[in-house]
Amino acid sequence: MAIHTQYKSVTEIHDAYDRKILSPIEFVRDYLNAMKSSGLNAYLTISEERALAQAKQADMMLAQHGKVPRDKKPLFGIPMAVKDNLVMDGVRTTAASKMLENYIPPYTATVVERLENAGAISLGKTNLDEFAMGGSNENSAFGAVKNPDALDRVAGGSSGGSAAAVRAQLCQFALGSDTGGSIRLPASYCGIVGLKPSYGRVSRYGLIAFGSSLDQVGPMTQSVEDAARVLDVMSGFDERDATSSPTPKGDYFNSLQKDLEWSSLKIGVPKEYFAEGLVPDVEKSVRESLKWFESKGAKLVPISLPHSPYSIAVYYIVAVSEASTNLERFDGVRFGVRPQGASEARDLEEFYKKVRANFGPEVKRRIILGTFALSAGYSDAYYKRACQVRNLIKMDFDEAFKKVDVIMGPVAPSTAYKIGEKSSNPLEMYLNDLYTIPANLAGLPGISVPCGKDSKGLSIGLQMMSPIFTEAKLLRIAHGFEKERASS
Amino acid sequence: MSDVPQLKASKVNEALTRQVANLARLELTDQEVTTFTSQLSDILAYVDQLQKLDVSKVEPLTHPFGTSIEALAPLREDIVKPFMTNAEGKPKVLDSAPEAYEDGFKVPPII
Repeated sequence: MAIHTQYKSVTEIHDAYDRKILSPIEFVRDYLNAMKSSGLNAYLTISEERALAQAKQADMMLAQHGKVPRDKKPLFGIPMAVKDNLVMDGVRTTAASKMLENYIPPYTATVVERLENAGAISLGKTNLDEFAMGGSNENSAFGAVKNPDALDRVAGGSSGGSAAAVRAQLCQFALGSDTGGSIRLPASYCGIVGLKPSYGRVSRYGLIAFGSSLDQVGPMTQSVEDAARVLDVMSGFDERDATSSPTPKGDYFNSLQKDLEWSSLKIGVPKEYFAEGLVPDVEKSVRESLKWFESKGAKLVPISLPHSPYSIAVYYIVAVSEASTNLERFDGVRFGVRPQGASEARDLEEFYKKVRANFGPEVKRRIILGTFALSAGYSDAYYKRACQVRNLIKMDFDEAFKKVDVIMGPVAPSTAYKIGEKSSNPLEMYLNDLYTIPANLAGLPGISVPCGKDSKGLSIGLQMMSPIFTEAKLLRIAHGFEKERASS
Repeated sequence: MSDVPQLKASKVNEALTRQVANLARLELTDQEVTTFTSQLSDILAYVDQLQKLDVSKVEPLTHPFGTSIEALAPLREDIVKPFMTNAEGKPKVLDSAPEAYEDGFKVPPII
C-alpha cells in the first residue's frame, strides 16, 4: 500500500515518526510520486525542491531529537498543500489565472510562514477557480479539478484543488480560502472537513484578495482533530493584516478533549435552509444527523433567519464590488503577464485593456457587475442598499444566537454535479451558495463535516455555524459528531 | 420606497455594458458584449429583489465587525516599515516586474 494513504491524522504520523517506521523524506517522496500521477488536476505547481529540502531538514531534526519535537513544531513533518491564491516567496503563484501565469511572488503569506515554521512541508499549490471566483473549480484557466469520488463530476469551488488533494490523500491537509463558501462547499462535495474561521481570526496577508470584507483562509482536512491542530498554528493576530483581530485565540486541539454536555446544547435549525431548492437526499442526510444530536440529548430549536433569501443578492453585489476594486491592481505594471503587443499600446489606457484581456470570463463578468454597482448614480441603489441588507442578515444571526448555541443545516443544495452541467448559466451557479454566503456576510465561523452520501454514493456535508470567535466550541461539537456518530 | 434611480432590466443594454467595461479598463469582443449584457440583465433582475425591503432605518454594514470594529480590529500607528530588498539592495518587488528599469517599473507613455 502506498505510504501516503496509510495515515489518517497528524497524531498517527507523529507516532510513526517516533517509532521510526516512517521518515519525513520517504513520506514526502511517496506523496510527490502520487501527486504526479493522480489525473485529478488538483495541483498547479509541485514545489518539489522546497518539499524535499524541508523533508531533509525534518529528517535531521528527528535524528537529533530522537522524537518529534511536538512542542516547538506541532506540525512537524506534515505534508500540506497550499491553495494557489496564497503567495509563496520563490514559488509560482497563479490564482489559476493567465494574468499571473508566471508570477513569482517576493514574499510568503503569513499563514504559510506560520505553518512552515511549525514544521509543515509545502508539497505544492492547488488549483482553484480563477481569483477564487466560482463554486465548481471549472473557472480555472488551467482546467477543471475532478472529484476523486467521481471523475466526471466537479470537486466544488473555489478551493476544489485543495479539497480533491485532501480527499485523494495527495497531502495530509490543505489550505483553502472562503469568501462565499469556497472552503465549505468543496469540502462537502469531496467528503472532507472544511473550516472557515471567523472573519479576522486568520491573517489575510499574502492571500490574493477577492472580497476583503468576506475572505478568510482556513484548513481543509481528513478530520476535525487535524483542522483544530492547523487552526492552532495558523490563527492569531498579524500586524501585517489590518483586519486581523487581537481577540485571544482558543486552544483548539486541547479543547477537543473537554467534556461536552450534550443535554445543554441548543441547536438552531433555520426553516429557510430547508426550503425550496434543497435536494431530498441531502435533506434526509442532514435531518438524520440532527436526529443523532437529539438522541445524545441536545435540543433542536426551530429558528428563522428571515433575511436569508436575500443573501445571494447581497453577496453578488458586495463581493463583486469589492472584487472590482481589488482587481484594479492587475494592470500589467508591477506584476502580471504583458500579452504580445501590449507594450506597443498608444497610451496607458489601451495598455491596461490589453493586459486585462488575461482575465477569464467569470472574472470579467464580476468586475463589470461590481464596477456598475459602485458607479455614480447607481451605488446608492445597489452597493449601499446591499450593505444595509447585509446588516439585516447579521442582525438575524445576533437574534438567533440569543436562543441557541450553534446553527446547523446543509452546506449545499445538492451533491457534486457533472462537469459542464451548470457552467453555461452563471446565475444558476450562484444559487448553490445560499447556505454558505450568510456566514461570510456576518463574519461567523462555519464548518462542513461529512454526514452521509446520496443514492449515487456522493458526499453530503453538514454545516455548523457559531458566534464570532467561538471556534473552540464549534470544533468540539463537530469533533463529537464525527467521532461518536462514526462509532455508533 | 427608494428615491434613487433604479435600473430597469430593460435598460441593461449593450451600450451600458460597453460603458461599464470601459470604466473597468476591460476590452470586450462583440460576442462578449452580447453574452454579458444578457447575463448581467438576468443577474441585475435577480438582485433587484433587495429594492423590496425597507432599509430606511438600517446602517450599511461594510465590515463584519460593524460598530465593534475599534474593539475587534484597532488600527496601529501609521509608521512605514521596510519591505524586502534583493541582492543588489533594490526593492525586491522589482524582481517580479514584467519590465523594470533602475528603481522603477517600465510602462508605455501616459500621454
